[in-house]
Amino acid sequence: MTATTSDTPVRQGRTAPGSKYVSLARTTLQQAIAYRITTFFNVGLTFIWVIILYYLWRAAYSERASIAGLSWDQMRTYVVIAYGINALVGWRTGTAMMAAIRTGDVVFEMVRPLNYCTTQLARALGFTVVEGGISMIFTLVIGLAFLHIQAPASLASGLLFVLALIIGFLTKVLVVFLVSLLTFWTLNGMGLMWSQQAIMQILSGTIVPLALMPGWLQFVAKVLPLRGIVSTPLEFYLGNAGGWDAVGLIGLQAVWLTALWVVANLAWKRAFRVVEIQGG
Amino acid sequence: MSPIVSAEGLVKRFRRPQKGPGLAGAVRHLLRPRHETVTAVEGVDLSIDEGESVAYVGPNGAGKSTTIKLLTGILVPSAGQVQVCGVRPHVDRQANARNISVVFGQRTQLWWDIPVLESFRLLGDIYSVPEAEYRRTMDELVDVLDLGPLLGVPARQLSLGQRMRCDLGAALVHSPRVLFLDEPTIGLDVAVKARLREFVGSMRAQRGLTVLLTSHDLGDIEELCPRMIMIDKGRIVYDGAFDEVTRRFGWEQKVVVTLADGGPDAATLAGAALARVRPVIEETATGLVVTFDSRLISSGEVIKELAVALPVVDLALEETSAESIVRRLYEGNLTFQPADHGATS
Repeated sequence: MTATTSDTPVRQGRTAPGSKYVSLARTTLQQAIAYRITTFFNVGLTFIWVIILYYLWRAAYSERASIAGLSWDQMRTYVVIAYGINALVGWRTGTAMMAAIRTGDVVFEMVRPLNYCTTQLARALGFTVVEGGISMIFTLVIGLAFLHIQAPASLASGLLFVLALIIGFLTKVLVVFLVSLLTFWTLNGMGLMWSQQAIMQILSGTIVPLALMPGWLQFVAKVLPLRGIVSTPLEFYLGNAGGWDAVGLIGLQAVWLTALWVVANLAWKRAFRVVEIQGG
Repeated sequence: MSPIVSAEGLVKRFRRPQKGPGLAGAVRHLLRPRHETVTAVEGVDLSIDEGESVAYVGPNGAGKSTTIKLLTGILVPSAGQVQVCGVRPHVDRQANARNISVVFGQRTQLWWDIPVLESFRLLGDIYSVPEAEYRRTMDELVDVLDLGPLLGVPARQLSLGQRMRCDLGAALVHSPRVLFLDEPTIGLDVAVKARLREFVGSMRAQRGLTVLLTSHDLGDIEELCPRMIMIDKGRIVYDGAFDEVTRRFGWEQKVVVTLADGGPDAATLAGAALARVRPVIEETATGLVVTFDSRLISSGEVIKELAVALPVVDLALEETSAESIVRRLYEGNLTFQPADHGATS
């Protein structure tokens, strides 16, 4: 390396200090790009599920035109987009945080002037640009070309979908955050991650639309925040909720998001106090 | 001048689960959890002035890391007062974070998969370092630590020595006032070690950086820290000049003996010759190392006795190192009397 090459990188770029959280998101994005092949396969593999579900539902619809108020066209759209949304926040957000806690690298987060929850949100956003981008390609290419998914019911539905999607994204990150935080107590996370994944897929309506669940489960799912991650955006997308229904659904999402934010910050403070002696 | 780091009666207690061995123990713990209280730090008083360089030493588990965690705001003290740069770390963790920096020899704060420069830039953003200052600091760090060729390389591709250089640089991007070094030279080769020590020393001289160093490498301490604080079982057992330790407790001396033919009975012969002063004799590949108490016998006499008893080829008298003193202290073979406490305590 010559003196010139060693000089240039320092001088390039930065003209003013960026916002710390934007900068964090950008750095995570770069990190995620380093893993793009893995990500591509992860997303691709989950898409096998979409295809299985697609054919299961097609068989179910062969004898009737509508199930729980959804037509076959709506159902196949639901199945594909639900998986697309689900892939927005992938494994890495949670596993990265758990790894940091388990190995103790989390101390660096503690000695920097950062809010830990916001830091994790920024990280998740960085990962999502890559993971979400890849899953979007799968959803659109396979969905539009082979599985005949529909466009949003109307422009308004489309906009509400995007709004609900954003709130849902933040909700999911905070839920993942809270589950990962349990690592402070359990110090081992894979079991937690698997259970969380299963529960979240059921209660968010990723596997089956909430309308098809037995009464009691439907009630539970409708009250909990998880529906806001997949089910609520999709109801808007399909044009099943408008007017006051829409206000109610967005309101519920917002209330849960606020509550989760408060809980996440409190939980972090609490976790802070149980920091183990790890390493004397 | 009020001290930049101060602690009074600092106490940290942990509740630790008491689990029996095996599955049965785990189940029992699940049904009836039992906890014991462990006191990691018990009434520690510290007072460090700006620009000082202090070694904080003690055996594993003595409470070193816990103290560092208390000073960095990671842990909340169970009792006592602590202040760093006028800020109480656990109360205002983020404000404290701007004034300090921590380097762990066993961990990296660099982002693993991206070029080192990106980590530096991100740190600059996290600490909101103004552009002009960032550039000035970077120029200085790149120059002094010779980071130029490393900036474009992802951290995972760096050797340990290169990584430590980058980590030290990363810790100084925001020009902290207090730098905590937790075993910074662990696993490094001699040349890299020397270079790092030199760098820390020069940063201290130029920037008035306050350094608190924990290390098991006495070379680090000897070169960087005129003052040493020693902690054992959560209490400070020594606080004073590093040289003072050698002067006060340096009665252990060593003779390294090279023998013509390392007969199996060499150790026995040497032991017999010096039996009255009960030396510690270790066998090496080429001969013996004899450790004795210089208050009981002079080195001249030891050498004379050994030369008579054994086919000696070469003899070397080793100066008492602080290392041996600290080692004995760690092993619990040396206890400081209360009167031995340093000037500041």
